[in-house]
Amino acid sequence: MNTVAVRARRTPLSEHTIMPPCQVACPLHMDIREYVDLAAQGRLMEAMQVIRSGNPFPSICAYICAHPCEEACRRGQVDKPVAIRALKRFALEFGGDRMIEVEAETTRSERVAVVGSGPAGLACAYYLRKLGYPVTVFEAHSEVGGMLRVGIPRYRLPREVLDVEITRLTKMGVEIRTGTRVVSLDLVFDLGYRAVFLTVGAHQSLRMGIEGEDGAGVVDGATLLRELNLGLTPALGERVAVVGGGNVAMDAARSAVRLGVPQVSVLYRRTRAEMPADPREVEQALEEGIEFQYLVAPVRVRTREGRPEVTCVRMELGEPDQSGRRRPVPIAGSEFTERYDTLVTAIGQAPQVPDDFHVRIGRGSTIQVDPVTLSTNRAGVFAGGDAVTGPSTVVEALAAGRTAAGRIDDYLNHRYPLAPSDSEEEWMGDLRPETVATIRTTGRLEPPVLSREERTAGFAPVELAYDCQTATNEARRCLRCGLGAAIVAPDRCASCLTCVRVCPYHVPYADAEGAIHIPFDQCQACGICVGECPAGVIALRKAGELGQVDEELDHVLGSATRVTSKPMIVGFCCQYGVYGTGTLAGLWRGLKAGVWIVPVRCVTKVETGHLLRAFEMGAEGVFVAGCGEQCARENTGHWMRQRVAKVKRVLAQLGLQPERLEAFMWGENTHDPTEVLDEFAARVGGFYLDSVLLQEVKR
Amino acid sequence: MIVAEQKPLEDIIRMVRPYKKVLLLGCGTCTTVCNAGGETEVAFLHDALRMAEARAGDGRREYSEATLKRQCDPEFLEHLTERVEGVDAVVSLACGTGVQALAERFADLPVFPGVNTSFIGMAVEWGVWDERCAACGDCRLEDTGGICPITRCTKGILNGPCAGPKKGHCEVSPDMECAWILIYRRLERLGQLERMRRYYPPRNFRPISRPRRIVGKAGLEARGSHGDVTA
Ligand SMILES: Cc1cc2nc3c(=O)[nH]c(=O)nc-3n(C[C@H](O)[C@H](O)[C@H](O)COP(=O)(O)OP(=O)(O)OC[C@H]3O[C@@H](n4cnc5c(N)ncnc54)[C@H](O)[C@@H]3O)c2cc1C
Ligand code: SF4
Repeated sequence: MNTVAVRARRTPLSEHTIMPPCQVACPLHMDIREYVDLAAQGRLMEAMQVIRSGNPFPSICAYICAHPCEEACRRGQVDKPVAIRALKRFALEFGGDRMIEVEAETTRSERVAVVGSGPAGLACAYYLRKLGYPVTVFEAHSEVGGMLRVGIPRYRLPREVLDVEITRLTKMGVEIRTGTRVVSLDLVFDLGYRAVFLTVGAHQSLRMGIEGEDGAGVVDGATLLRELNLGLTPALGERVAVVGGGNVAMDAARSAVRLGVPQVSVLYRRTRAEMPADPREVEQALEEGIEFQYLVAPVRVRTREGRPEVTCVRMELGEPDQSGRRRPVPIAGSEFTERYDTLVTAIGQAPQVPDDFHVRIGRGSTIQVDPVTLSTNRAGVFAGGDAVTGPSTVVEALAAGRTAAGRIDDYLNHRYPLAPSDSEEEWMGDLRPETVATIRTTGRLEPPVLSREERTAGFAPVELAYDCQTATNEARRCLRCGLGAAIVAPDRCASCLTCVRVCPYHVPYADAEGAIHIPFDQCQACGICVGECPAGVIALRKAGELGQVDEELDHVLGSATRVTSKPMIVGFCCQYGVYGTGTLAGLWRGLKAGVWIVPVRCVTKVETGHLLRAFEMGAEGVFVAGCGEQCARENTGHWMRQRVAKVKRVLAQLGLQPERLEAFMWGENTHDPTEVLDEFAARVGGFYLDSVLLQEVKR
Repeated sequence: MIVAEQKPLEDIIRMVRPYKKVLLLGCGTCTTVCNAGGETEVAFLHDALRMAEARAGDGRREYSEATLKRQCDPEFLEHLTERVEGVDAVVSLACGTGVQALAERFADLPVFPGVNTSFIGMAVEWGVWDERCAACGDCRLEDTGGICPITRCTKGILNGPCAGPKKGHCEVSPDMECAWILIYRRLERLGQLERMRRYYPPRNFRPISRPRRIVGKAGLEARGSHGDVTA
């Protein structure tokens, strides 16, 4: 054992972070925690870059991603999950995503064909281009995008967004042939393509299997949306019923409202609790005046005077089925009949794969593939997306496209495919109830939406972008799972119990042997114990976090010490929330030429040594500005004040006025940072003048 | 545990003034636990000294930092031999024992105490330590319900309480609880109040001749199977 330790606090933890649950849940494994943190600091361009690096078409996901990450978010165990998707949109829109151009060079001669221009196909094309392959996408429809174009309504995904991403793709050199239905794969190979990726989606609506469902005035949801999206204006009449409880049903019903149908009903055979549709969609549908009839299923349709007359039966919930949801059971004798102008069926879709493809088809008409390589029974033919999984989500399709590109690359290089690196060695458990009890609830902040009237008047995008303040506050709710504190040098831990005593969340504990443990899946990465540990053996798991303040301070002092005409004031400013956007820092800098800002990611990262160093380098005054009552973590201001008090004592011992050091806390002792700073600067200026005069007198 | 507190900065500055190369030496045991002399405090002292010099503009000393597991054991001090080469003085942030152990081991090196060794005590909460034991060498805690009147009674009386306590607190240090009232309550709970009826004769401190030494090993001849072994 090395018994001589030399400033070990300056040696960081080996780069060992734990994948947070959101990232595990995301099929693309995006670095969500990182971009949310950047957004919380108002560093939107960097956030945008992190987002772009993990997703080929992030601006699309920013609107319509089914966000499995939010379902996994552990903030949900405290109050509600972080609004990750909306934050992504905020970061992209304000981070300059529109300006981004993606480049690709052709370095390979093997041409690859992609059948279908849905998200899976486009993602595969994107990554194949990045790998240097010439790629052609064949699309049966006249327009590119698959369900993004012909399924998802415009009010949820503005077509400009889709177009920008597609233009980017074509600029990368992806060739897209629309209006080209592939009927035979042999033909594709004959054209010289060396590999094919099949992503034909799942566009065939399922049939209800009841009498009269092909009659006049009955249409399936996918067809209705396709017609609408390809520019037709279906005539639906005055009364429309939509059968189903999924997102397609919501889209069909809400589109009907936008087409001017005064009375739209959704018929669903279970209750609202079992509805697979996104709850927010359901909420918005209700706001738009759509009527929901639960525990109702059609049993027969008759056509009367060219309009459907629908007989339904009432249901009750019985035993749970394989999906875990309670099975609806018809109530005998509860039938009733209603007349509608149009009946829309939206109970699911299945893929429709031409027989001539000669690929093996499995359950639910899906293409059978090897789960690791995505290869089909035919050499050189790969498949993914809805065509393989059945109706799923855009982000799943994107992930499949990305995997396929990698596997096609392996195939064309005669390389053994590497198994996916999804080995989640250390899983984040749930938060313990005791930990949950100590975390402040902050309530989820949703982005604004158009009013009901504005929404139903047409197909304008429903959701608007966040404003900066709301977005940064929402982003600050992230619990930073997996970045928590760790004891880096257990052999030097004195078991002093400081961490046990200072942690606001009661995370660290001592075992019966006296060893200290910090359970990584409970820690909120607030950093208090890191600064307080008397042995200096605790570090956060975030790479680069340790030396961050030192670096920033050096940087600032480097410039500040060159200016000698004015008293120098160094301010350590929290980067989150109010200060996050950098506007205040800028304001202060402009106001007082002698004020130098050291940006810090939470004031708990400011240690006594940093304050002393600023004075050592000639600062006449030093202040720490924290976000105070806005802070998403507990006691950060308290511990910062402890440190400030300690340094004040040293100042006093050295005959320097302790008032040269001040802590400003938003909401605690200030609501107007500029005012308090003005006052502080004046005070420090006074000390400065005094000392200059004194020196003159001495001479 | 031994509790200490860092000396005022002026004192330390005065001690190191004549020297150029100074080693600031922390202790990884007691003074780490009481927040007076662990690695973090060594770093803090270092920063404070540098700052003091920069503000005073009186020439720069060269400081180095190190922290030992314990300074009060000679074997640990051996790890310092290289580090003290070229060093003019050491400021030790260990208790007085550590300072002396260093002075003994490095005969030519000036060694200064960076902390005031204060007492044997315990943490009441983060950042607050209370004295509990006077190391009197003649423990009577069995009679006083596990509460030491010598340490905790301001007057150190053995047959208390005196007439002064107010609402359970000491008349001399009103924020301290009266040790004898604590003793009474505790004996009452334990059903041992009869111990209060005894008279404890005044203590004779004389038999404690200083310095004390404890020999735990048997007084065998230092002889191993391979001949002489210096124990
Ligand atoms: C109305 C609706 C709303 C949805 N909303 C959401 C949502 O909000 N969030 C979400 O994550 N997911 C949503 N989804 C699901 C999502 O759109 C799909 O999971 C995703 O588009 C599947 O992508 P894909 O590439 O596998 O297939 P698709 O997007 O279906 O693309 C397949 C493409 O292949 C083409 N094609 C088929 N056969 C041939 C052929 N022989 N030759 C050439 N081209 C062919 C088709 O024309 C189509 O363009 C929604 C789906 C629908 C229908
Ligand atoms: S970093 Fe904060 S939350 Fe984590 S153990 Fe330390 S004090 Fe507790």
